[in-house]
Amino acid sequence: MPILLLFVGVVGLVLIDVPIAVALGIAAVVAMVTSQGTDTLPNVALVMYGGATSFPLLAIPLFILAGAIMNASGISRRLIAFASALLGFIRGGLSMVAIGTSLFFAEISGSAVADVAALGSVLIPAMEKRGYPPAFAAAVMSSSATLAVIIPPSIPMILYAVMADTSVVRLFVAGIIPGILGGFGLMAVAYWFARRYNFPVEESLDWRNVRHTFREASWALTLPLIILGGIFGGVVTATEGAALAVVAALFIGLVIYRELDWRHLKQAIIDGAVQTAVVMLLVAASALLGVYLTEQQVPQKLAGAIINVTSNKWVVLAILNLLFLMLGLFLHSAAAIILTVPVVMPLVNAAGIDPVHFGLVVTVNLGIGQQTPPVASVLATACAIAKEDIWAVTRTNVYFVAVLLAVLLLVTYVPAIPLSLVHLFYG
Amino acid sequence: MVDRIAALRAGFERVMEWIVIALMLVLFIEVTLGVVFRMLGRPLVWYDEVASVLLAWLTYYGASLAALKRAHIGFPGLVRRLPPRIRVPVVLLAEASTIGFFVLLAWVGWTVLGVLATDYLVSLPDVSNQYVQSVIPIGAALFVVAESLLLPDTLRDARTGRPPGAAVAERLR
Repeated sequence: MPILLLFVGVVGLVLIDVPIAVALGIAAVVAMVTSQGTDTLPNVALVMYGGATSFPLLAIPLFILAGAIMNASGISRRLIAFASALLGFIRGGLSMVAIGTSLFFAEISGSAVADVAALGSVLIPAMEKRGYPPAFAAAVMSSSATLAVIIPPSIPMILYAVMADTSVVRLFVAGIIPGILGGFGLMAVAYWFARRYNFPVEESLDWRNVRHTFREASWALTLPLIILGGIFGGVVTATEGAALAVVAALFIGLVIYRELDWRHLKQAIIDGAVQTAVVMLLVAASALLGVYLTEQQVPQKLAGAIINVTSNKWVVLAILNLLFLMLGLFLHSAAAIILTVPVVMPLVNAAGIDPVHFGLVVTVNLGIGQQTPPVASVLATACAIAKEDIWAVTRTNVYFVAVLLAVLLLVTYVPAIPLSLVHLFYG
Repeated sequence: MVDRIAALRAGFERVMEWIVIALMLVLFIEVTLGVVFRMLGRPLVWYDEVASVLLAWLTYYGASLAALKRAHIGFPGLVRRLPPRIRVPVVLLAEASTIGFFVLLAWVGWTVLGVLATDYLVSLPDVSNQYVQSVIPIGAALFVVAESLLLPDTLRDARTGRPPGAAVAERLR
């Protein structure tokens, strides 16, 4: 009964627009004081501090900073030029360029919102100028930006790894094949649209131009690969790799391209710090709630109740998929991971599901959540750039979301797709 | 009066922005130094503990800046659809809950500091946890200041039915 009241309290506060982190904090304080009295109040300060001191989560501000510096260094322009030289000859070339650039960009950035803002502000107006419907331009940009959370580095994966106490490096490796599959699937849908509506071809394939644009973009393309190689090879941790990514980004911006623009960079650092603080306050508040839930053994009781009904891991995965798809409609991906992963992990373990496999399932699910209104952070950003209504764009975006759903089903029910590279690298 | 609050808010925002920029840069330099020294075979013993402390500082100083920019994750959809005579008291209740939580956090954070005076960082035994964890009462107090400075905008949005945070979004544009 107290747990039900706690749940109703959190939902009630969220519905009157109290920030989710604060709603969790209030509910946790009320629950703690009710069960243990006011003597427990000093713990509130200690747990709220301790909850924000996680070394692995340091990778979040550092990857955001690296992406911001690369963005302020003219990197998106070079990546777009390279993708355009490589893919512009296909019918609907610009939409292929949008997806191709998102695939490359995903290796640099961990945040889909950052990607859609950086690439969409260039590519959506370019597509509109070439006669693509604005709703299509917004949909293709939005859905392909979601690849950023599936292909490493990925901020939701870092969060999941900390919440589920599993290896972030293995999760990063597990994201590679599903991310590439998703990219090709989105290209296939874009090509179908291009044939049907006769979208234009951009340029004929000219290998000299491909080589030239590749040379221009090569620093941007290879350095993140070296950094990810360092992380995968165990030379550096994910957090240290993130710091090296910042060094690499500064090197590219100051020495190679010499285009680093301080005004943009300053704004990007502030935005990155704000984004980090928003996620970390949620982490700290959920730690507070976690203390209470663990004392009451809620995750274990939930796991026990579901395992009593079924212990078949495929059925459990189906139930969890439905849960995360529903949550994705209403919750920001960081909030969904922080709130639910600690609660469902005992169930995942009891059903014998590999935590890395489940991490990919969660990540792809919440990637879809970024595309499904009413709460769809990436889609909303793309719509704001295209000045289109979110529901109008959704009518086109459903075809692209169907691809992401297919990737989700593959990731869920063919574990070899996410895990074969993990087993190859780490046994 | 309104102009004065707007000027105060702009000044507060600038100060907070420079604090978080400094914290981000120090955090990056500290972790990079940690990697370099480890690779040179002379690891810094304090590096991961100090980095974690910096993350907590970035969290709480950044959280008040995020409050000022209305960036915390919430669910404004329902409140926006309420009729104005219900919307205003509901927004006031939400604001009172938020400010109340951070006033409590500032108070308990402050009382805990006394206990922490004789508690030190593991890797830097000269640095008291009293300084390190001062971020909780200070950060909570800054959050209260940010929410209070936004209150006139918040109430105006509630009365006129504009989306919550519209005034902030306009200012940022």
